[in-house]
Amino acid sequence: MKKLTFTPRMLLTTILLIMGVIIAAVPKNTTTPYKLSADQILDEIKSGTQYLEPEQIAQMLVEKDPYLQLIDTRPQSEFEKFNLNGAINIPIDNLLSTEYIEVFDQDVKLNVFYSNGSTQANEAWMLLRQLGYSNIYVLRGGLNYWAEAILNPTPPTGLSSNDEIARYNFRRAAGQTLGAEGLDSAPSEGNDVKTVKVPAPKPVGKKKKVAGGCS
Amino acid sequence: MGPLVINEIISENTNLLLAFFIGIAFGFVLEQGGFSSSRKLAGVFYGYDAVVLKVFFTGAVTAALGMLFMSLFGWLDLSLVYVNETYLTSAILGGIVMGAGFIMGGYCPGTSFCGAAIGKIDAMIFVIGLFIGVFIFAEGYPLWEGIFKANFMGYPKISEFLNISEGFFALILVIAAVTMFWGAEWAEKKFPREEY
Repeated sequence: MKKLTFTPRMLLTTILLIMGVIIAAVPKNTTTPYKLSADQILDEIKSGTQYLEPEQIAQMLVEKDPYLQLIDTRPQSEFEKFNLNGAINIPIDNLLSTEYIEVFDQDVKLNVFYSNGSTQANEAWMLLRQLGYSNIYVLRGGLNYWAEAILNPTPPTGLSSNDEIARYNFRRAAGQTLGAEGLDSAPSEGNDVKTVKVPAPKPVGKKKKVAGGCS
Repeated sequence: MGPLVINEIISENTNLLLAFFIGIAFGFVLEQGGFSSSRKLAGVFYGYDAVVLKVFFTGAVTAALGMLFMSLFGWLDLSLVYVNETYLTSAILGGIVMGAGFIMGGYCPGTSFCGAAIGKIDAMIFVIGLFIGVFIFAEGYPLWEGIFKANFMGYPKISEFLNISEGFFALILVIAAVTMFWGAEWAEKKFPREEY
């Protein structure tokens, strides 16, 4: 009986075919497009790095910081009734619409989400974070806390510490400054609803034009 | 995670430096594989030597499997990998011109430089011809711009075109390659040439 010899050709053929069968059998979407793992997101949630305090935002608004980009995730009708100065409206339903990619895909501006509370803003933050966008934050407490803390701060009692009194003074000052323009109840008249123009943001690595190939 | 340049793991300059070394290695291996001989290269058209077919299909299959497995392991983001744009008319016409030049001259552009580098006179003539072609194309560009840009199809992949998964297309490619390897070896025995 003839003994079957295993030549290098047959070995190569076998290996190639086996690898081909494996790769054909693997479901296509095994590779995740997400840039952060679930663990990483959980770490960020635990440490609360996504939150910016109302005071920080108020200060930036008073200083008319051009790098601040407030994003209102509420429906358009609510946005038109009331919004923070300079905010743009991206209802959470349209968050992934391609027209907003440029807003998120940059590393110059601070994108700060807010909604009435902070749940919806947090949802937007988490989704975008998972897609790999950076420079996104959430206004702590949302508009409800904003109204409470900045627009109608509670006066300190006689037992308050110096810190608390200082914070109250800051909030009251900011509230007075922003009270006029911050409560933008008729955005159709106000021109400064639109954001301050800054130089076109540099796209981050993700969207860098790919080039190369052999020709 | 790859690609290295797009994810800014290495800089453009490092990339060029790496390309320089890879290019030298590529030329060396090409020459060692016999690709500096026009008779050996032309053999693929007559059946007596299929080294061109074997090398290029090995390259294609290795790259395809390698990239798909790296993507599977999460090392490479395939959506960021450059895909050549397809101008169908140009591709067909260019294929005909390139194929005819290959049969007549015995080289393809890369291998002609390989041959010229080790002093083959036919390869040097081929390189001169190549530059004449480049010159004519560039100077006459307005004349054939319409044909050049006709039938733009974007950045298609065959797997998308056929609506099959990339992995399944890789399997088809592997089967086709292996079949051709065995067929080519059979042809080499069938149409042997003593010296070339």
